[in-house]
Amino acid sequence: MKILVVAERKDNELRRVTLELAAKAGTLGETSVVEVTGLDRYSVLPAVSALAAKAKSDAADLILTGATLNGRDLGARLAARLGRAYAADCTGLASDGGALAVERPMYAGKIRAKLRVALPAVLSIRPGAFPLPANATPPTVTALPADTSAEKLAFTSFAPTPSSGKRVSLAEARVVVSGGRGLKGPENWHLVEQLADALGGAVGASRAVTDAGWRPNEEQVGQTGKTVTPDLYVALGISGAIQHLAGMTSSKVIVAVNKDPDADIFKIADYGVVGDVFEFVPAFTEAVKKAKASS
Amino acid sequence: MALERKDADASTTVSVVTVGPARSRDALRQALAMGCDDASLVLAEEPLSDLAVARALAKVALETKPDLVLCGKQASDDDQGFVGPALAEVLGWPHVSMLTRLVAAEGGVELWREVEGGHEVWKASFPVLGTAHKSEKEPRYPSLPGIMKAKKKEIPERPVGSLGADLGGPRLEIVALETPPARGGGKILKDGDMKAVAEQLATLLRDEAKVL
Repeated sequence: MKILVVAERKDNELRRVTLELAAKAGTLGETSVVEVTGLDRYSVLPAVSALAAKAKSDAADLILTGATLNGRDLGARLAARLGRAYAADCTGLASDGGALAVERPMYAGKIRAKLRVALPAVLSIRPGAFPLPANATPPTVTALPADTSAEKLAFTSFAPTPSSGKRVSLAEARVVVSGGRGLKGPENWHLVEQLADALGGAVGASRAVTDAGWRPNEEQVGQTGKTVTPDLYVALGISGAIQHLAGMTSSKVIVAVNKDPDADIFKIADYGVVGDVFEFVPAFTEAVKKAKASS
Repeated sequence: MALERKDADASTTVSVVTVGPARSRDALRQALAMGCDDASLVLAEEPLSDLAVARALAKVALETKPDLVLCGKQASDDDQGFVGPALAEVLGWPHVSMLTRLVAAEGGVELWREVEGGHEVWKASFPVLGTAHKSEKEPRYPSLPGIMKAKKKEIPERPVGSLGADLGGPRLEIVALETPPARGGGKILKDGDMKAVAEQLATLLRDEAKVL
């Protein structure tokens, strides 16, 4: 099987999901990793045009993108351009005779669908679905110039969200600390931020919080927000609506803090703390600093 | 989002279309009650391939010739996020995903796309397609006069086979639908003062879970 992995970069570094895809693809067949170059920022048409030509000239059977914001956008349009099967946000992938055995979540993660996908195909793969082996060698990435003649849009400006930017990217963070309605208001977010900083993680929020305008939409973890798969997920004052769980149940270790002992979040937590977030979080932040210093 | 454009510019007309079974009429009726001008149903009782849905919608778009097509970013059942970009591809139009805002601009429209750290602003001339992430405003509730008016409106329907669209296309074959393995059986810490619990948890995360 010939596989084309589409690389993605953030701040000059290859995204972790690109490394994960390259390592996984290498176990399935002959893999080449390409990066669309020559664009100041991702734009779908110049990227799709270049990749469609590359897929044809290489006779690639399978194209993999990360199920990131841009990777999902690209994967869908590229599959439509090539008339190929497409599955988004896949969490399982194996070869199955001349086809692929694919797993992906449906219905907000309540269902895991097992699919048989005929080749040729395009898949976007959830970051963290195939953890990077410790001995993985960095892939060789080939530059693929974007087809700028295909552009039909004009980028005009970037409007940064106030307060964001200094922490790690939510979708790929190894630690995520999220706050919910239990925090009682945006003025208490320093508790979430201080704990995230102590853990070296990103800050997230429940939908109730972003809907109320306490935090920007981009911090929302859940079915309609971001899906995260960190090593450690800490839910502070989050009850655990299915909408939220869809975005974080694949985390390796889940810690939940809530004053309601019957909150649904405790059903999926590895460590649950029944207590007041305002009392617990400052103490926990200090305890984390101490535990890290003595490890 | 479309109705906000109509609020800002009364010459805007908003048409709603869906491909689906007869029960999809309820959603179309709701859209009319909210203030959309007309609605139509492309009847498909059996599920189609994702690409076939895009091709059927493209036929409708070629008839009605809108300046702007808006889709949701993904369905809430399969979460694929395919039909919007694929519809733009079939039409040969540009698309912008993850829209949160539309702003009228000379000769077209500005589309605000939510990304990590903020919004990209893209300018497009018409026609263009957007997949909506979340509008700045909550969807409006239908008004009582709106509901009464919507009841009287016809919602024309036609079978998907009558559009002349290629209804083939690759399908995903579902082998099994399973409940994901349950998590749980976690440790619950609740006794003692919060300082002691905090220290206990930090130690567990470092020495047992090994995530610190």
